[in-house]
Amino acid sequence: MKGVFLEHIMELIDRYLQAVKFSLPRAQRDDIIKELRDSILSQIEEKEAALGRQLTKDEQVELLKKLGSPMHLASRYGKQQHVIGATMFPIYWRVLKAALGLAFLVQAGASIAMAAAGKPFIQSLSPLLHYPSVALSVFGWVTVVFAAMDFFGAKIQVSDRWDPRKLPPLVKSDPRKSRFELIARLVIQIIFGVWWLAGLHYQYLIFGPGIALLKFGPVWHSIYPVFVVIVLVDVMFTAVMIARPHWIQGRHVALLVMSALGLVVLYFLINAPEVFVASDPSALQSQELVKSINYGIHIGLMIAAIVNVINIGKEAMRLIGWSFGRASQASVGS
Amino acid sequence: MQHMVEAPANNEVLENLRLELRRGCLILAVLAELRSERYGYTLRKALAQQGLEIDEGTLYPLLRRLESQGLLASEWREEDKRNKRFYRLSADGKLILKQLSAEWKSINASLNEIL
Repeated sequence: MKGVFLEHIMELIDRYLQAVKFSLPRAQRDDIIKELRDSILSQIEEKEAALGRQLTKDEQVELLKKLGSPMHLASRYGKQQHVIGATMFPIYWRVLKAALGLAFLVQAGASIAMAAAGKPFIQSLSPLLHYPSVALSVFGWVTVVFAAMDFFGAKIQVSDRWDPRKLPPLVKSDPRKSRFELIARLVIQIIFGVWWLAGLHYQYLIFGPGIALLKFGPVWHSIYPVFVVIVLVDVMFTAVMIARPHWIQGRHVALLVMSALGLVVLYFLINAPEVFVASDPSALQSQELVKSINYGIHIGLMIAAIVNVINIGKEAMRLIGWSFGRASQASVGS
Repeated sequence: MQHMVEAPANNEVLENLRLELRRGCLILAVLAELRSERYGYTLRKALAQQGLEIDEGTLYPLLRRLESQGLLASEWREEDKRNKRFYRLSADGKLILKQLSAEWKSINASLNEIL
């Protein structure tokens, strides 16, 4: 029982320190956390020795609240920021990075859309080439807004409102690193999604010079809406994971949904009479070649369907296991 | 005509001035306390026992700043089954403390006269 209680204290402290670590200067991060952890534990030990009992959950929460919100505490270790105050700076910095990233995605998306619509290459590239000026404008506006908020005292009162009990759960990986990976994945997903959806209509984008030999069978056009849904759901899941990097089970939900949608596509493709058709129906040789390709593709699709069913089973089991684990934790905690 | 200042604004001004006044004093107190080696928590307690309360968010960043300025030296050592970072005054720190103490005494003497 004492072990479980001690585990709860440590979890709360670790969650607090994890949140502090998130906003600390990278080079000193581990060292600062080690020192703060020792200081918190020393305080708890001393209080417990004076009281002759363990601290209650509320007393631990009070102790952490006295240290200040994680962002406020971390900001004290940063360099002095003159235009934007130390407390506001980490929020400003994150918003600025997100806004610059979003602006890039919009410009890149516009370029891809123009290329997909058949505009000349140079003309398609112009939104991307305008990115530096757009970025400068984004930087200016974000900085002006935050500087004004700081100047007029409209600061977010994190120190008064924050509650250690609402801190995100512990994660093993570095959330900053996983967030960077997720943003990179989002960019790739958007580029690939636009290319694929455009390619189903303008098949040269996918087949290149091979379009002279073969093209998509009618089934691809029938299931076009399913591809649109897949691309949107995929991008949406990654965007949600960027906003909530600590939502661990979200990754399993995303994999499950994507595998299920993939299975729908596979079902239609496996049952289609022709996955690909010859571009020139009169050329006997290319018809034979396309027939062989379809045969190979059909076997590949069958294997992919089996793998997908296994994946769906695995992800469903993980989610059920996770829900079961949560339910068990709740009953232990109560 | 006497200028009336509203209470909340007055409190904010007072708080800012108080913080400004404390900042320099705290540096002097921390340097003086670290003539003997201590780790953060015991240093904070020692200062509190002498009436100088200082929160972690102020003390630990201050210790790092003083160390980066070469006034303190530190090392990680195990005590009570836990690793702790022990700080002590460096040679440069001792010299600066001596000079700052002289400055403090001079200011204090002048202020006593003025106030």
